[in-house]
Amino acid sequence: MTPRPVSSSSRARLLAAAAVLAAAAALALVGTHSAGRASAAPGSAASATTTSGADTASTGREVFLRDCAWCHGTDAAGTHNGPSLTNVGAETADFYLRTGRMPLDSPDQDVRSGPPAYDDATISALVRYIGSLGHGPQIPSLAAGDPGSGRTLFLENCAACHSASGTGTIVSGGQPAPELWHTKPRQVAEAVRIGPGPMPPFSEKQVDQRDLDDIVSYVRQLGSSQDAGGAGLDQYGPIIEGAVALFILLPCLVVVIRLLGKRAPERKEDS
Amino acid sequence: MSRPDRAPRLVVVSFLLSAFGAAGFAASYVLGLGNAALGGCLGAAFAFLALGLARWSNLIDAAEPEYVEERDVGPTAQDQYDAFRRALTEQPVPRSRVLWGALATATAAIGGAALFPLRSLLPSMGTDPDDVLSRTPWRAGAHLVTEEGVPVRATDLEIGGTVTVFPEGLDPREHVDTTTVLVRVEPADLDLPAGRADWVVDGVVAYSKICTHAGCPVGLYTDTSHQLMCPCHHSVFDVTDGARPVEGPAPHPLPQLPLGTDASGYLIARGGFSGPVGPSWGNH
Amino acid sequence: MVSLLPRPRPMRKLDERLGIASVGRDVLAKVFPDHWSFMMGEVALYSFVFLVVSGIYLTFFFEPSAAMVTYHGHYAPLQGQDVSAAYASAVRLSWDVRGGLLVRQAHHWAAHLFIGSIVLHLCRIFLTGSFRRPRELNWTIGVTMLILAIFNAYAGYSLPDDLLSGTGLRIFEAIAQSIPVVGSWLSFLIFDGEFPGHEIIQRLYVLHVLIVPAVLAVLISAHLAILIRQKHTHFAGPGRRHSNVVGSRAWPSYGLRSLALMAAVFAAVLLAGGLLQINPVWAWGDFDPATITAPSVADWYILWIEGALRLFPPVEFHVFGFEVPNQFWPGVVLPMLVFGSLYLWPWLDRRWTGDREPHHLTGRPRESPLRVALASAMLTFLAVLLVAGSEELLVQWTGWTVAAIRDVLRVLVFVLPLLAGLVGWWLAESLRRTDLGHAVELGGRDLVRGLPRHGRRESA
Repeated sequence: MTPRPVSSSSRARLLAAAAVLAAAAALALVGTHSAGRASAAPGSAASATTTSGADTASTGREVFLRDCAWCHGTDAAGTHNGPSLTNVGAETADFYLRTGRMPLDSPDQDVRSGPPAYDDATISALVRYIGSLGHGPQIPSLAAGDPGSGRTLFLENCAACHSASGTGTIVSGGQPAPELWHTKPRQVAEAVRIGPGPMPPFSEKQVDQRDLDDIVSYVRQLGSSQDAGGAGLDQYGPIIEGAVALFILLPCLVVVIRLLGKRAPERKEDS
Repeated sequence: MSRPDRAPRLVVVSFLLSAFGAAGFAASYVLGLGNAALGGCLGAAFAFLALGLARWSNLIDAAEPEYVEERDVGPTAQDQYDAFRRALTEQPVPRSRVLWGALATATAAIGGAALFPLRSLLPSMGTDPDDVLSRTPWRAGAHLVTEEGVPVRATDLEIGGTVTVFPEGLDPREHVDTTTVLVRVEPADLDLPAGRADWVVDGVVAYSKICTHAGCPVGLYTDTSHQLMCPCHHSVFDVTDGARPVEGPAPHPLPQLPLGTDASGYLIARGGFSGPVGPSWGNH
Repeated sequence: MVSLLPRPRPMRKLDERLGIASVGRDVLAKVFPDHWSFMMGEVALYSFVFLVVSGIYLTFFFEPSAAMVTYHGHYAPLQGQDVSAAYASAVRLSWDVRGGLLVRQAHHWAAHLFIGSIVLHLCRIFLTGSFRRPRELNWTIGVTMLILAIFNAYAGYSLPDDLLSGTGLRIFEAIAQSIPVVGSWLSFLIFDGEFPGHEIIQRLYVLHVLIVPAVLAVLISAHLAILIRQKHTHFAGPGRRHSNVVGSRAWPSYGLRSLALMAAVFAAVLLAGGLLQINPVWAWGDFDPATITAPSVADWYILWIEGALRLFPPVEFHVFGFEVPNQFWPGVVLPMLVFGSLYLWPWLDRRWTGDREPHHLTGRPRESPLRVALASAMLTFLAVLLVAGSEELLVQWTGWTVAAIRDVLRVLVFVLPLLAGLVGWWLAESLRRTDLGHAVELGGRDLVRGLPRHGRRESA
């Protein structure tokens, strides 16, 4: 009595199901992880201002009064909704505006990175204006650094929150330490000095200019350029690698043995 | 019963594709085409091999009946089993418990003695692990230096800043238990346990960086909430309150190091840690 | 029929010297039951073969030493940096040895496949009752091999001395030192003193490359020898009895299929090794005991212990006058309970079901709702622990705090396994009363019949 071989139609169904499952799993893993660290919506106070040259400082002040003063005060001295900006300097303004963290739609909105709300000229104008208030730090200048020393400094100071690969993770309270692969070098330098949000600040006495150049040059080459081994799985580590092993690799082999082996014989009475 | 010996086309094609894949692997190696090409070609070679073999075995199965084999279930017949027992216990000398006992003693003695060299796996004689784990090399007057050996002043840190330090003159990798994290907070935010008011310099407090749960470096500092978090199992310590654990599985606060300054304003320790460093151990 | 006979004259020469023809005839004619689920163990076997072959290649390039060397190679950020020889050789394997990265990655994927297939194989044996007399010895050997495989995989990914795995070694040390009375001595024995010491990479290397593979090879041989002696179990069906075995012949039918499976396993791990990056140690950085990366987690087969360490509350109590460290309960007691219950299972099963008969006909899972319930509960329990080990990802997906997720999981880790056990029992019981092929085919009426109240009246 010949055993019942796997019929071609059920084999085809099996293969199709397996392919769909594998594709869905793969998409879910990489897609939602990237989405999970998605930036929040940009501030919508952005009617892209068409400022053309001329008096940029006063233009900056106009935008400030329109979009920022309601939290930071008309004199930028702060209100109960937002801190004073009088000594934060061009450095801070440049960081928050270019990373889309500011402006906010409402005072209790989460401060998250995203696309900037303004065009380049408007940002420059705003930065000049805020920089002119008090004696805050200027935008840091950057020179070429040594990625080798940068690597050591990054691992000592940054890897614990941003991950050694720069893929980012969470800190206490569930706030994110964002991934650094798409951050511009100037913003990296600014963030190191400012310590925005939950991030600690690093002064010149702690991380001098040369160290900062080194760190920035190391961060610049983090990212998919390090993916020597294929699809990088976000360089996230064993959690995603294990999910791929359990939900893609292992099921593939289960499908293989299902196709290679036989199914159970018909159930009948036997001794 | 036997069919004409016609090589089934799909099987041959699969094997030829497999050979092609292997050639691709060799070419990828020679031309340095990278990991994806190497893995893709060799993987494809094996995949086509598998396909060919599977199809071949399918063809054979289609023509073959099921085979049946008898299983010898159950134990051996009694008379054969008795013969086995007799062969096992047969002795040409009189039955002697003393002989067997003496052999057992010799074997046990050799086995026990052979275990002694394992002691060499432990560090030199005279090291008491409980003693070593209870103390660190931090002493009063030791300067705090970074991993690069640079001494630290309190004002080197911004408010909200953090740095990892070690005692001067020791190799950090040889004395991991000395790893200390400095955090600078607003002095007004501090609410330290009793008697530690003078362990602070300009808002800078020092704690052991070794998590009291499972020993990972507590590397994540959130300055807005003054919390140190360990990424291994997410224990959170309140820096303003003697690094008391506020969340997570760590049972004990991070030990605190009393700080002072030398004549030039550089930070020094004024004693050892407030308690044993790192995770609890079994004899403590 | 396709002819598969080797050339006649060499075979004749071999037979003149060894007299193998008669034994050979029996071996070739051996009957193997060939249900597809019986091939899971072979997936494990062929993964092991790949691990050994790829591992041998890696040993030619890896240096198991903690001595500091200066890296010179294609990976630019590490150029001129002083790191341990182990780490430097791992980076060199990945960036400077042509084909080295493929072998390294395929080796790691194969380890995942090895342990995963052992777990599935164990589930199949458990659910079909194939561990019952006379196969308790093979079950015990199998559980031992699972533990050794997990240990060897952990040792293997700790060898490159990178920042991620080095932190894992620290946790291992903390767990070892948590054992009451002897813990501190044990951890000093393993690490030659305080963590990290200079010896651990070398010691792990000897275990990973020599001792554990040798023990595994012996155990696999014993496992197969017992299987061949006892002959494989088979499902009930036409012509299948307790006293026979029905299936395909070893050669050519079953042998070819098995070779196809071996090729498929090799294909899978090589494709994964070529296309999916795993454990990029150059990105994690070299191990520095004063720093750490995040997420700081272990591979999935260890991650359930990490999850337990995360969920366990911050308590330390005294037992018989000894203070028991916090990490002892999730780190030592939990794995002992899990593996201990696996070891004891054949005897527990015998006790609870009263079934002491030898079995060569295996049952379908539905025939033992108790086993289905227990398997569902255990797997769900381990799955919740794995989720606890993935808290970072959950925070990024949901925006909840770690504390909130932890609290929810602390409840789920008890509630979900219980629910899963009950549901598993119910589905198995319902299926048992029908002729249906699959659980998905169960209709409402079948499910109602599976409930305890209705069950009593209809028991066979």
